[in-house]
Amino acid sequence: MVAFDERGEEGSRMEKVVISVLGRDRPGIVAAVSGILFDLACNIESVSQTILQGEFAGIFIASMPSGISREDLGKRLDEGLRPLGLNVLLKPLEAAPDTGPALPSEPFVITTTGPDRLGLVASVTAVLARFGVNITNLKAVFKGGDLPSRNVMIYEVDIPAGIDQLAFRRTLREKAEELGLDLSLQHRDIFEAVHRI
Amino acid sequence: MLSDREILSTLEMLKNEHLDVRAVTLGVSLLDCAADDLRRFLDNIHAKIQRLAGRLVPVCEEVGDRYGIPIVNKRIAVSPMAVVGAPFSGDQLIRAGKTLDRSAREAGVDFIGGFSALVQKGMAKGDFALIEAIPRTLSETERVCASVNVATTRAGINMDAVYLMGKTIKSAAELTASRDGLACAKLCVFANIPEDIPFMAGAYLGVGEPGAVINVGVSGPGVVKKAVDRALAGDPHLTLGQLSETIKRTAYKVTRVGELIGREVADRLGAPFGVVDLSLAPTPHVGDSVGEIFQSMGLAAIGVPGSTALLAMLNDAVKKGGAFASSYVGGLSGAFIPVSEDLNISEAARGGFLSLEKLEALTSVCSVGLDMVAIPGDTSAETVAALIADEMAIGVINRKTTAARLIPVPGKKAGEKAFFGGLLGEAVIIPVGGGEGSGDFVRLGGRIPAPMQSLNN
Repeated sequence: MVAFDERGEEGSRMEKVVISVLGRDRPGIVAAVSGILFDLACNIESVSQTILQGEFAGIFIASMPSGISREDLGKRLDEGLRPLGLNVLLKPLEAAPDTGPALPSEPFVITTTGPDRLGLVASVTAVLARFGVNITNLKAVFKGGDLPSRNVMIYEVDIPAGIDQLAFRRTLREKAEELGLDLSLQHRDIFEAVHRI
Repeated sequence: MLSDREILSTLEMLKNEHLDVRAVTLGVSLLDCAADDLRRFLDNIHAKIQRLAGRLVPVCEEVGDRYGIPIVNKRIAVSPMAVVGAPFSGDQLIRAGKTLDRSAREAGVDFIGGFSALVQKGMAKGDFALIEAIPRTLSETERVCASVNVATTRAGINMDAVYLMGKTIKSAAELTASRDGLACAKLCVFANIPEDIPFMAGAYLGVGEPGAVINVGVSGPGVVKKAVDRALAGDPHLTLGQLSETIKRTAYKVTRVGELIGREVADRLGAPFGVVDLSLAPTPHVGDSVGEIFQSMGLAAIGVPGSTALLAMLNDAVKKGGAFASSYVGGLSGAFIPVSEDLNISEAARGGFLSLEKLEALTSVCSVGLDMVAIPGDTSAETVAALIADEMAIGVINRKTTAARLIPVPGKKAGEKAFFGGLLGEAVIIPVGGGEGSGDFVRLGGRIPAPMQSLNN
């Protein structure tokens, strides 16, 4: 990857796009995507991928050179990837709105275990949303059944400094009890302290 | 991004393996409370403890909640009373003990240590008074803990003090006869006492320490046992070297918890952070036992042949892991074998696997000593003193800390049970061999000189 240069060629702003790819996982997907982007002189700025139950999902953020339009890029990607059984979505990367300096927040980890049932993720995340707590990472695996260790939700969250911490904790615990979940809420530092040198 | 393995294994340690911060102890220096007017002295002590320790318990609860790791015991350790209270008589120091008790109760802590004297080379006026005050103070207060250091590698063993402590222990037992000699459960006799132990009953704030300090005691014998079990389940052919590595890594994790939490408590209280004491300290709860680790590692019970070797390895592995986890490791730091506080060890004693002689051998490689050992009520002061002397010798010669917390249970014999309650648990009374054959030796008195090991300049 080439180091990011906002000015691009001839001083014109390079347009940035977000490409998301979905499909059955197998070797060669990222190679296929990045190959097409390379051919069109698009620079990949960041990539992330996840695999759940054999299904691949990837997000690419790329900058396009001035000679190509989004429509062209979208067509070329589709042509190249659909035969591989992959769905592609392309959209422009919007500049982040200027909301002023970020509010201070602290990283916490919420973990739940308990029997699987409808509405676990929805209910917990509703509480988070209500208090303005943002999820930075989420992994939830429900293997089904009643064995607690088979149904785990792990949320890494940022808790803003200004919220009513006690109310948040209380609401979360009440919700967990309602759902029959065993819930822990702990500052992230404890996990780092224990497992990382 | 944390891995789920990291998160889930930490939670497992917390929920099912009894990982917790065993003790956060606030050291409070009383040296500036010194006065020769008793009333002023007591007011000074009370005011100072109230001022410094007022927020200890709430801060510990907050920090415990924040990290999801409970701080089980909050305690206070003060400067040795024999030093700060040197002008006073025994009766007056009993009143000082009661002031300490009241201050502890108001602060919401369960124990306050420091009703102590250091007499390894000889006894001064304050020391005599303090030791004289011990039996009544321990029987008339709930939270006060006492310790007397009678030996160091540099000074040798003060056998006069040892004999005096034998008599003091008997006296304390008599005064609490209706409670199986409970006062003795709050009294430790030491060789080479550290100045910063967070655990009771030996905690006191040494003279070289700052005005206030936070020392943390972690624990986690349950975590170690589960780690060993998991390792062996994964590979039954693991060798002792490999198991030592497992224990070391586990000790690292446990110590890191203590370090993080201790520093935050210290920070919030505005006190300096002292040390992490990474001892494996058991409680009477099931699954929180040092004795069980022995069984996980292939010994039928703690006390059978092989126990000393295993304990040596365990103690060492714990220290290595802990030393890497924290720059300031102190206190006792090793494995405790308190007979009453560990269900499994207590059972081993009852089953005849663990004799007093074997316990003594174990103390040569572990970090405490003859801890919470209940002996027959008719054991003489001379024999108690002789038992203490043996324990002190192990510490002095090996340049380590050893201690004796012996409880002669009035009216009960070997094989019967003594009940202390709470964290102190219950104990089976162990027979003491040798009859009454030590009296003449003990009565010789004097000071056993410092050994060659002390000449290391």
